[in-house]
Order: sequence, then structure tokens, then C-alpha cells
Amino acid sequence: MRPHVLAAVAMFATVVATGLAAQSAATPDFSGAWAPYRGGRGADPKLAAPPGTEILLKGDYKKTWDARRAAEAEANKKGEPLATPAVECVPYGFPRMMSVALYPIEILPSAKQVTIITEAFSEVRRVYMGEQQQPIDEVPPGYYGHSVGRWEGDTLVIDTVGIKESIVAYQNLPHSNQMRITERIRLVAPDYLHDQITIEDPVALEKPVTYTLAYRRLPNYKMVEFVCENNREYTDANGAVRLRLGP
Amino acid sequence: MARRLVLLTVIGALVVGGAAPLSAHHSFAMFDTQNRVTLTGTVSKFQWTNPHAYIEIDVPDGNNPPKHWTVELGSPSILMQGGWKFSDVKPNQTITVVLNPLRNGDPAGLLVRITLADGRVLANGPGPTGGN
Repeated sequence: MRPHVLAAVAMFATVVATGLAAQSAATPDFSGAWAPYRGGRGADPKLAAPPGTEILLKGDYKKTWDARRAAEAEANKKGEPLATPAVECVPYGFPRMMSVALYPIEILPSAKQVTIITEAFSEVRRVYMGEQQQPIDEVPPGYYGHSVGRWEGDTLVIDTVGIKESIVAYQNLPHSNQMRITERIRLVAPDYLHDQITIEDPVALEKPVTYTLAYRRLPNYKMVEFVCENNREYTDANGAVRLRLGP
Repeated sequence: MARRLVLLTVIGALVVGGAAPLSAHHSFAMFDTQNRVTLTGTVSKFQWTNPHAYIEIDVPDGNNPPKHWTVELGSPSILMQGGWKFSDVKPNQTITVVLNPLRNGDPAGLLVRITLADGRVLANGPGPTGGN
């Protein structure tokens, strides 16, 4: 091979390598399984999630929320917790699915779509990368809505609309069909991920609510299946949860 | 074995950190978490299922027929995080369980810890509260 051809090949290789490095630096590796990382005793405060902002609901939404919280507290005091959709084996939907007890989530990133699968109830979100969001009123209301994503430096920004009004959000927040949820997901340390979630709802909320979920990476973890096949909890005539005893 | 339970408990405390989970499958308010019942009996059934695993156990009751109890556990995922395997409990084995009993008096409860037939001690998941 002639020297100038060799030089050209070397230059091409350098350009490709630099390009790959730049791409890799721009899109950190979120792939794999992640466990909720709770704050509290033993947790590193720099890695745990910061507290959420104040929740200020409007009019009837506030009345509904306050009444439900009071009824829950009263029912729990009696040892007869109120039924929730999850008790009936109905999945949580977004955003509550993103943090259920100690259940991990799995992130499968690709250039066109980021897929998020939860272990609890095997829920699935699909985030369409680089697409324009649809107008809220054109998205059929559902458990996961319509999500589009883009990279802002090292942060994956996801915009979601179209969550069904019956799917309560963070802290069981009621919401209108105008709710919009923006997530900013980034690594705060090599194996620690934060998902900062902002809920905007001009109909239900006086001001947006922001909270953060923290996760730690679970290397080589294999997600466990979750089929809600043996649900022994049931709701009695008074709306309280009971346990069906076995034979 | 007690050392292992202590270790699991410590790990669990680090993981759970004493903070309440944001969501769980259901409220645990139907169980009396202030009281514990210890039962030794014979396993009639072990269900490694979601949303919860269950152990059915017959507990000797003097000259009366054995009393049947239902034991609720975490889910397979949560139990595996605490070192469980699907094959750790089998019918006809003798086990000892510590429970938070149902508050309504029915013979059932939420597992706190178990002594398996082979002597190993496991919690109801990766912490003192079994991840609940």
C-alpha cells in the first residue's frame, strides 16, 4: 500500500474512533437492571434522591386527594386497608410503576427506542427517540401514554402525555387529562441513576411537582417474571382488603 | 444460621434504609405488626407465586385436630433478594415460622422469619420487614 493511502486509512480510522468516542460520551450506558435506591439509614446522601417539592392541588382535586388520604389513614388504623388497583392485580401504570417496593426495572436503550420494563407486574414503557410529541388531545388515554425522548448531553429527557385519569401519580396524586410528565434521567455516579420527574397539570395542580427516584445498577441481574396468578387479597363489601385463607 | 439472618438483616437495613417504599402491592395494615406468633408444624402446601408466595401449615393442637394456618410471604423476586429458592419448602416438611398475625383473628399471618427443615433461617425478603 502506498504511504498516502496508508495515511488516508489511518486518518479515516482516527475519525471513526473519535466519532464513536464522542457518541459514547454523549450517551451514557443506562442498559441493564436497576434497583430502587432508597434514602435513609446506610444510604449515601449524595446518591439518594433529594426530597420532592410541595404538592399543591386545585379545588376539587385537593378535596378528592385529602378525602382519600383521610379515609386511608382511618382504614389502616382499623386494620382494614382500602382497596387499590394493585390489590386487584391491575398494574400501576406510569409514573408509579417506576418505583415499586424493592422491585428492579430494566432499561433497554437503542437509537430509535428506549424500552423500560419493570419487574413488578412486568409493565413496559416505550420511549420513541427523536420523535415529535403528539398533541395531548390526540393521544388515547392509557397506562403508559405516549413518550418521546431526546438526549441533552448526558441526560435522557423523556416527555410523556396521555395518562388515563384513573391512573394516580406520585403520592396517589389525582390529575386531569392535561397532565404532562417530564423525566430527566442521568448517571449521578457510575452505577447510580437518578430519574427526576416533573408533573405539570395546569388543571389539577397549582404548580408543577418535582420528585426524584434513585436507582443502583444490578450487574448481571436477570429479571424475575411476575404473573399475578395467585391473588388472595380481595375487597369486601365495605371496600376493605381481606386475605383469602388457603385450604 | 443466626449469623446469616443477622447478616441478611443488616444488608436489608442498608438496602431498605428504613424508608417507606413508594409503592407496594398492598397495605400491610391488616397484619398486626406489633405482635408475633411462633408456630411449628407440617407443610401441606408451598406456592411460589405472585403477587405473594404462601405456605399452608398444620400446627399440632394437643388432643384436638391440627390447626391450619396460612402464611403470606413476599413475592418470589423479593424472597430471592433475601436468599430464598423456590425449592426451600416442600410438603410434609416440619418448619417453624414467626408471623405477624392477621388483626381480625383469622389463622393467618405475614411471615417475619422461618426456620427451614434443614435448619437454615430466612427472613421474608432482604430485610427485617422483608422488603414490604
